[in-house]
Amino acid sequence: MSYSLNEVEATAKRATRGAGYAWGLAEDAAKATRWLCAHDIDGVGQLARLLSSESETRLALAAINGVWAAKGVLCPFRTGCLLSDCAHLLNEQPIEMVQVAAPVVLVPFAALAARRLEVVVTVECDGDVAVTDGQILSMPSQWSEIAETVTIQISGTLPASSPRQTRARPNAVDWDTLNRFAHKTYAPATEESRLLGAGAGLSDND
Amino acid sequence: MDTTAQTTIPRRDPATVMRLSRLGSLHQCRLSFMRQLTRRMAQENWSFARPVFRVDDNGVGCAVYSAKGPERTYSLVAFAHDLPPEMRSDRVIAEAWDATFALFDGIPSEDDIERLSQNVPLQEAGRVSESELSLSRANRSVRLWAHVVDRLAAGLQPDFEQIDMVGYLMRTTAVYGSGKFGAADREKIADRPEVQAPFQAEMLSVFLTRTFVRDLVQHMARAKGGDHAVPLDPSLARRLGIGNSTGLGMAPFIVNHPVLFNNWIMVREEAIARVRSVAEATEDDVQRFRKLLRRSEVSVDRWRSEHPIQVKNLAALKDDLSTLTAHVGADDLINDYPWDRLMNWAAGALSEEGQELVASLILEPYANLVDGLTSCMSDSNGSAFAIDGSMDLADLRGLLEESFGWALDLDWDAPENCARAWYVSEEKLEPRMGERFDEPIAEYEQPLAPARDAALTHRALNGRQGTVVEFLLDHPEHRHTVRRAQMSRVAPYGEIRDNTISAQVLPIDMLRAKLSFFGATHFDPRSDRWVRICMYAGAPYPEDLTTETADLWVYPQEGTA
Repeated sequence: MSYSLNEVEATAKRATRGAGYAWGLAEDAAKATRWLCAHDIDGVGQLARLLSSESETRLALAAINGVWAAKGVLCPFRTGCLLSDCAHLLNEQPIEMVQVAAPVVLVPFAALAARRLEVVVTVECDGDVAVTDGQILSMPSQWSEIAETVTIQISGTLPASSPRQTRARPNAVDWDTLNRFAHKTYAPATEESRLLGAGAGLSDND
Repeated sequence: MDTTAQTTIPRRDPATVMRLSRLGSLHQCRLSFMRQLTRRMAQENWSFARPVFRVDDNGVGCAVYSAKGPERTYSLVAFAHDLPPEMRSDRVIAEAWDATFALFDGIPSEDDIERLSQNVPLQEAGRVSESELSLSRANRSVRLWAHVVDRLAAGLQPDFEQIDMVGYLMRTTAVYGSGKFGAADREKIADRPEVQAPFQAEMLSVFLTRTFVRDLVQHMARAKGGDHAVPLDPSLARRLGIGNSTGLGMAPFIVNHPVLFNNWIMVREEAIARVRSVAEATEDDVQRFRKLLRRSEVSVDRWRSEHPIQVKNLAALKDDLSTLTAHVGADDLINDYPWDRLMNWAAGALSEEGQELVASLILEPYANLVDGLTSCMSDSNGSAFAIDGSMDLADLRGLLEESFGWALDLDWDAPENCARAWYVSEEKLEPRMGERFDEPIAEYEQPLAPARDAALTHRALNGRQGTVVEFLLDHPEHRHTVRRAQMSRVAPYGEIRDNTISAQVLPIDMLRAKLSFFGATHFDPRSDRWVRICMYAGAPYPEDLTTETADLWVYPQEGTA
């Protein structure tokens, strides 16, 4: 089944929130998932796997100084948010990080940074290289599941264009996973909510 | 935004404009999305056709209406159903409708029609594709439909009073666009000039729906009356609009799209400022204003509502119109910044309904100052989404205080200040609003209380120094609020300056703000959280659309009973 990118973003946002993340993080995760799908990368699968695995095993950074590292594997969504928030640091020097889960998820955040700075940004991950200006993307088809070292810097050259998808065709199991998490944000229907919450009142059949 | 026009009078302060009671008093104007569409279609000489009309004598079948512009064709694919009366409901919880529609991007093949016939009648339970730009449905007005069919079938025209009481034969109950239920994303069409402005595909769908409904009622009359039946008098047909029932689902939209909503409001405020800055009006300009003021009175006379708040507001608006007519009768409105003087007078003399009617009306003589702004009403960029982590926390605090200074000292734990919570129902996946302290909904709350969240963030910033990125490392729960605060730098009219979860909040104010930009008239709240409106009443049908008829149709002609 094919889904609109709007459906992908809306579902990803609800799923991330349903998995217990703050609304602001859910907004970023949803935009990143959409961006990946638009660039023909399985963003839905990445998000589904990240939300399903034990979140304690993927850490958030505690402070920004030197190489970004935690006492374990970094969560790519929280680290990605930090990366786009810190885009200005790229003007001074590359950002380096170690031990990042699903590092492909960093790419849409690098793209946000590239757009904000109006530059081309390179994400190098254990030798694999992605280059983007926010719109155009050049990268290999396979990325590692956990990166030992990642370097993000202003550099790189781009082709004139890159493939864009206007629909997402996620794996049905992954899509169900997102919907299962999204479901946790829905309030169970009660008769009261049915009558009042949607706004009864004067007749609607006249 | 086009800044070539000189404005000596500034835009109104967001603190004034963005109060809910004022947003809930807005009226249509030259910038409205329906009028943008009809003006463009007339200017570009669009052509219209009905390649398919296969409806049986029970009113069941399908029809296709095509609108052909300079580069592309769009088609409304309509399905008519025989709906048992007990299943008819305008509420989003309905599962069947009198008619269902999709706007197809192009001209549908028989295979497309077949595919759509399997899905469109199911609405939310079906799937459409990237070839569809909107999905919608409509129910008959039971009162008027039977009357019109019976009269036409008997060779008579319907009763004028009855048409006036209702205003439409069918009302739409949802028009879904932008990728909903599998439809094409906004990005697919955002760069096309004819649909670059907001909601143009949806407005086109409703424009064509009105034609279908007229044709269907005549078809049903012929099926019933045979050779005795007569067509609907064109002047009566023109009076009929399409109704619309809008529920809570629309209210979160304006909170969730602060940059887009800002662009609508800011464009209107810029238009008002430009007209207020006209130092001297011409006699022609003033005549146009006076004429449309009289026609507005006719429109307000036809506006009916049983809702106590709207009844009161309508009475005040009618008083305002008398006061306004007397006032402009004693002023030639030519010299000394006449429109600015009028706005200043209105601010002290009229209700908010009246003030906003004046603000919309003064734009009418100035197509040259106003209409070019319509290209600034969409949100095509999206770059405001990224957070600037290098911002100093003192600046963040300043942004929060600018938009929400009024909210910072409110006791947000007091039950009356947080009595409501917005949530999404499991049943229909649509937004609802409930009582936080009476229903088990708080843990499902949606982030639709920006003022409360701003106050919480402001409190968390207390005593902190440093940059945004350091703050967010410690407090990811404030991320959505920080984003909104930074957006307010480019979107000064993006935040509602009122409490959206108070015990007194009226969601209908949020609905009206949005619907007024569609160009809706005759707002008729049916409770505090859903409203009926009328669209395209007075508008030409496709065959009558010309540059003469395309714009001012929203103002009824004087002297028509």
